[in-house]
Amino acid sequence: MTAPAPSSQVAAPRLKIFRWRAVGPLLVLVVIAGVLWWLFADTLARHGTQKVGTQLLGAKVEIQDLHIDLAKGNVTIRGLTIASPHEALKNLLQADELVADIDVVPLTEKKLIIDRIAANGLRFGTPRETDGRVAANADGTGSGKGAGIAGVVLAETREWAKQFQIPVLQLATGNISIDSLDPRRLSTIPAAEALGARADSMQKAWQAAVAGLQLGPTIDSATATLEKLRTARATDVATLNEGRQAIERVKRASGRVTGLERGVKTGVAELQGGLSGLDSARRRDYAFARSLLNLPSLDAPQISAALFAPAALKPFERVLYWAQLARRYMPPGLLPRANTGPPRLRRAGEDVRFPKENALPRFLLRSAELSFLLQPTSDQPQRYAGRLAGLSSDPALYGRPMVGSASGPQFAAGAFLNHVRGTPVDTAGLTLGGVRLPAFDVPGLPLRLDPGAGTTQLGFNLNGDNIHARFALRSSNARWSRDSGMTSSTIDNLIWRAVSGLSNLELEARLSGELERPQLAVRSNLDQAIAARLRAVVGEEVAAAERQARERVDALVKEKVDPVRAQVNTLQTQANGQIAQQRARLNELQKQLEQRMREFTRLPFQR
Amino acid sequence: VLTLVKLIQSLFGALHSEGTPGQLAAGIAFGSILGLTPLVNIHNAVVFAALMLLNVSFAGGMLAWALFVPIGFLLDPLFDWIGHGLLLAPSLRGLWTALYNMPIVPLTNFNNTIVLGSLVFALALLLPLFFTTRWAVTRYRATVGERVRQSKFYKAVMASKAYNVYKMFKP
Repeated sequence: MTAPAPSSQVAAPRLKIFRWRAVGPLLVLVVIAGVLWWLFADTLARHGTQKVGTQLLGAKVEIQDLHIDLAKGNVTIRGLTIASPHEALKNLLQADELVADIDVVPLTEKKLIIDRIAANGLRFGTPRETDGRVAANADGTGSGKGAGIAGVVLAETREWAKQFQIPVLQLATGNISIDSLDPRRLSTIPAAEALGARADSMQKAWQAAVAGLQLGPTIDSATATLEKLRTARATDVATLNEGRQAIERVKRASGRVTGLERGVKTGVAELQGGLSGLDSARRRDYAFARSLLNLPSLDAPQISAALFAPAALKPFERVLYWAQLARRYMPPGLLPRANTGPPRLRRAGEDVRFPKENALPRFLLRSAELSFLLQPTSDQPQRYAGRLAGLSSDPALYGRPMVGSASGPQFAAGAFLNHVRGTPVDTAGLTLGGVRLPAFDVPGLPLRLDPGAGTTQLGFNLNGDNIHARFALRSSNARWSRDSGMTSSTIDNLIWRAVSGLSNLELEARLSGELERPQLAVRSNLDQAIAARLRAVVGEEVAAAERQARERVDALVKEKVDPVRAQVNTLQTQANGQIAQQRARLNELQKQLEQRMREFTRLPFQR
Repeated sequence: VLTLVKLIQSLFGALHSEGTPGQLAAGIAFGSILGLTPLVNIHNAVVFAALMLLNVSFAGGMLAWALFVPIGFLLDPLFDWIGHGLLLAPSLRGLWTALYNMPIVPLTNFNNTIVLGSLVFALALLLPLFFTTRWAVTRYRATVGERVRQSKFYKAVMASKAYNVYKMFKP
C-alpha cells in the first residue's frame, strides 16, 4: 500500500455571497422598527403634520394629539391650533377635534385622499401667548427667509399693499406763514418779463413798418399835383393824367396803411392775450402760495382715504394672501410643478409633482363638515355650521372647483375657487353682523376710533389678473378717543370737536383693475361731516391765510406786471394813433384830388 | 472622541480583516450611498439591508457612511442642480410621470431634487469608488500593512471592546 500523495495545491475558499448569519439581526431590526412605528407613529405623524402645516401656511401649526387608525382608515386630531400669519398674538383658528376618513390604498402612492372631515369646535381669532408667525419677521415686516412659498407670497402681498398712495391728512399746526415763498418759483414774473420783451420787439417792428410805408413822397407828390390841377386849363391832358396817377398812388398808400393796421390789430390782440395769460399765471401762483400754507385738506374723498384706507386695505391684503397661496398650492393644468421640499437638516431641495390624467391628485379633501363658534370669549358664543368640498392640490385632475359655505343668524360666508381651467377664478364673500370690530388708530391724527359692534361685508373676486373687491363696514356705536399724544392746542381741540360727536360710521372701500395696478376708492359718511366741520372751525383762519398768500404774491409780481401792462397799453395807443393820423391825411388828399378832377373834367355849361 | 476611536478601529479593522480587498471596496461603495443621499429614504433601507446580507465589509460600509455624510452636505447644491435638470427634462417627463403615479415608488421621494440628484451621483460614483478602493487596499496590504499590524498603536486600538462588536460582522 502506498500512502496517498499530498495535494500539491490548496483549494481556494469558496466565495460566499450572502451572509446568512446577518438575517437574524436584520429581522430583529425590522421588528424593532415595527415596534417603534407602533409606539411612535402617532407622535411622528403629529410632528410631521405640524412641520408641513407650518411650512405650508407660513404660521405655526400646533397639535395636541393625533391618532392614526389605519385599520379603520381614519385620523383623529385633537387640539389643533393654527396661528395667524398676519397677527403676532392671534390664532387663525383653533379646533377641538378633527376626524378624517382617509383612503388607505392611495397612501401607497403617497397621495392623501380624505373622503370626509368632521371638524368640531372651530374658533377663529382667539388670542395666543407667543408669536406664531413664521413667514413674517418678528416685527411683521418683510418675509422670513426659509419660510418657503408662504413667505414669498406674504412678501409679495405686502409689497402689493405698499403701492397704494394713501394721502396724509395734514392739519395746520402753529402759525400759518408763507415765509418760504420764493419769487423765483412764481410763474407770473417770467411771464411778465417775456411779455415786456415781446411788446418791445413789436414796437420796433411797427415803427419800421410805418417808416417802410414811405408816405412822405406820395403825399408831397400828390400835393404838388393838386396845386397844378388848381391852375391848369381844361385842355391840359398831361396834367389830367398826372392827377389820375396821383389818385392811384394815394389809394395804394392807403392800402399799405390798411395792411399795417391789420398787423397792428393782430399784434395788439396778442399782447392783450399775454396780459390775460399774466392773470392766469397769477392764479397759479396763488394756488402755489396756498400749498405752502400747510392748510387742512378739506376735500371729502381725501379725508376718507386718509382716515380709513390703511384699515380698509388690511382685509384685501389678507384675502389676497390666501387667494395667492391657493393658486400656488392648487395650480391649474397638468404640467410638472416644483415646490419647496420638506424641511430637514440637509438642503430641502424641491419636490416636483407629476400629475397624470385620470389619476388621483396628490391631495384631495372630498368634503368637510364644519361646526364652529363665533365670539368664543363672550358669555353666549354662537354656534354655526359650514361645508367645504373639493379642496385639491390638482384641481384639473379632480375636475371640480372648491366650494365652501357657512351660515348662521348674523353670518354668511362663501368661497369658490375655480382652478380647473387655465385662468383661475377665485371668489369669496363674507357678511358678519353683531360682532365687535377692532379699534384702530387714525393715521396721521392723535385719535383712535372704536367702531363698536357693527356689520362687516367683504366681497372678493380675482379673475386671472383682474381684481374686484369691496369692503364695507357699518356701525352706529362708533366712539372716538383721544390719544395721549394729543396736545391741548387750539387746532387739536378743533379736530376733537369735529369728530367726537360722530357716532354713525359707514365705510366702503372698493378695489378694481389689474392686480398689479388696482384702483382704490374709499368713502364714508364721515367725509362730508368732517369736511364741513373742519371748514366751519378753521374756515376763518384758512380765509385769512389765503388772503395773506394772495397779497404776498401780488406784492412780488406787481413791480413786474404793472409796467408791462402800461407798456402794452401805451404801445396800442401809439400805434393806433399813428395809423389813424396817416390814414386821415391820405383820405383828405385823395378827397381833394378827386374833387378837383371832377371839376376839371366837367363841361363848360356844367361849371 | 469615542466615535473617532470607533472610526479608526473600523478603518484598521477593515484594512486588516480577512476579507478581500473587493469585499472591503464593495462595503465602502455601498456605504457611500448612505452618506451621500438623505438618510431617511426607502433606497437607503435597501442599501443597509444589502450591507448586512451581502458578504461585503459592513465596517467598510459604516466607515464610508460616516466619511461621506459631510461630503453629501457640501455637495447638496450640486445634487439640487442635477436633480432639477433630470426631473424637469422634457424627454424624461413621461418616465417620471409614470413612476410618480405608481404604488410604492413615490415613497422613495425620487421626485425630490436632492434625493434624485444625490442618488444619481452616488450610483455614478459607485464603480469608480469600488475599483479605486480595491486597488488602494491591495497596495496597502502589499506594502505597509504587515508593519502596521505589528505596531503598538494598532494593538492598542484593536484591544478596545468596540472591536468585538465589529468582529461580529467581519467578512
